Amino acid sequence: MTAATPTTTQALTTPDRGRRATGRGRSRSYRALEPTGLGVVLRWIWLSIAAILSFFPFYAMVVLSLKPGKVVELPGSLLPWNLSFDSYAQVLGGQNLLGWLGNTLVYSLVSVVAVLFLSALAGYAFAKKRFAGKEVMFWSFLAMVMVPFHVTLIPTFILMANLGGVDTYWGLILPTLANAQAVFLMRQFIEGLPDELFEAARIDGAGEFRIFLRIVLPLCKPILATLGIFVFLWHWNDFLWPLIIGKSNAMFTLTVGISSLQQQNVPLSTMLAGSVVALLPIFLAYLVAQRYVQEGVTGTGIKG
Amino acid sequence: MTTATTGKRPLGAVGRVLARREARVALLFVLPAFLLFLAFRFGPSIAGVALSLFDYDITGEIAWRGLDHFQRLVADPLFWRAMGTTVVYTVFAVPISLVLSTVMALGVRRAFRGSRFFRSIFFLPVITSLVLAGSIFVWIFSANGPWSALMSPLGLGGSWLGSTVLVIPAIIVVGVWSRFGYGMMILIAAMQDVPRELEEAALMDGANAWQRFRSIILPHLRPTFFFLAVIETTAAFQVFDVIYVMTQGGPANASYSLVYLLYDQGFKYFDYGYAAAVGVALFAMTLVVALVQRLVIGKQR
Repeated sequence: MTAATPTTTQALTTPDRGRRATGRGRSRSYRALEPTGLGVVLRWIWLSIAAILSFFPFYAMVVLSLKPGKVVELPGSLLPWNLSFDSYAQVLGGQNLLGWLGNTLVYSLVSVVAVLFLSALAGYAFAKKRFAGKEVMFWSFLAMVMVPFHVTLIPTFILMANLGGVDTYWGLILPTLANAQAVFLMRQFIEGLPDELFEAARIDGAGEFRIFLRIVLPLCKPILATLGIFVFLWHWNDFLWPLIIGKSNAMFTLTVGISSLQQQNVPLSTMLAGSVVALLPIFLAYLVAQRYVQEGVTGTGIKG
Repeated sequence: MTTATTGKRPLGAVGRVLARREARVALLFVLPAFLLFLAFRFGPSIAGVALSLFDYDITGEIAWRGLDHFQRLVADPLFWRAMGTTVVYTVFAVPISLVLSTVMALGVRRAFRGSRFFRSIFFLPVITSLVLAGSIFVWIFSANGPWSALMSPLGLGGSWLGSTVLVIPAIIVVGVWSRFGYGMMILIAAMQDVPRELEEAALMDGANAWQRFRSIILPHLRPTFFFLAVIETTAAFQVFDVIYVMTQGGPANASYSLVYLLYDQGFKYFDYGYAAAVGVALFAMTLVVALVQRLVIGKQR
């Protein structure tokens, strides 16, 4: 994990790196590296084929979700006509989809706010303060990144069961707030901020927490956006932990709820309608903030 | 380092008071995150290893078992089946995904008309949960789905998820689909750092596209490849979601993975100690991969 951090933080602190190679200032020889004529066409063709293959599951998902009750046959079923929204009515009316959506929103949003706040607070102290035990604490944080989540799964569940956290929101959310990676990223970022900014405020008599709120947090906006998107996506897509801790249908998240449909022998179109509804918010967010989402996922590490 | 400069400052009486106050505040700032971390990462990690030596009941009954669980693990054919599935999945999914990432990154690394569009399309599966997309893949790989139609000229038609031989390849296809965009993005960023002059010079010297890739781009990408290989291997060892939604480990346990075994033992049979032993085995595998990576990188330096 540590091997990755130099490139990671570099990518995060210099967000415009990807743009450098584009635009003006192309030399003629640079152009020669680019395909011309037939090469351009060929590149378009193979990339288009790859894009169609890669996008096909999404297309099929949407079209088949709009063809309720029919026997699926190829290729007729994939043509985008004779559509009906019956499956959507079914999954929204007959299943607790909106409840699951609400749970997922609570799970994701509360976690994002809490993780960002706590990791910024800790990251600031690790980066700019001196205190006893700092090194030990920080390195124990870092070492834990190596331990797979699944090793901690059973003990965490037993702990939550003993605390009465099974099938509750706090039981779902609390264990996922321990995010060592977030603390590490925040520390890396804040370490790069100039000390003078904090010193000036301190001389003006501002309290430590006020300095954090008024100066540190605003300066951290870019990393907070990136990290926030990562944490949000990770929680939205999280499956195993919500599956284990959520026992009743009313506490299911979208992933757990949709997977429970499979065990109920729900028709394919209804299942797919549920999937489309569950994926839609993520895709809309991606459409609006593509670059941040890409950075949020690639800049912070593993997919959830 | 900022700590070094402040550290050498001689402290007067006032300075000492201030430093102590600063330390107190800092500790307060770190504390919430650290307590969470102790309770839900550090504690459970230790407990997870310890638990593998005990039998534990949710009623609180606990009994020392020593290495019994590990002996049982070694003798459990399902464990070896799960290990086989996990290793086969990893050994194929990771390299295929890396090669595909590289090819796609080479295709879209420079800005041209449509490059952003292609990047976005290829990245879409990365942010898609396989649990949510699972049902469409169940259809795609079904007997009368498009995959069967595509593969029947090769004599590989029929339901891949229903075949004990082809179920793993099917899951590999889905796994690669969901991961290649991640590696692609990382590699695009790494390729931006390849000095353009080098490539131009090679072009002038008459090097073809493959030679330029082989001798200029590839050496630059080596650290990135190692990083990706470790990330992807760790993720592949933990394969569970796809299997849970697509095959439930079937048919005839042909796609039963290690995390699936952990899940079943822990949350279906409530055999926590045994499940913890599976977790320890998984941890050991991850550590071995990390160590091998360290050694290989260490050798290069």
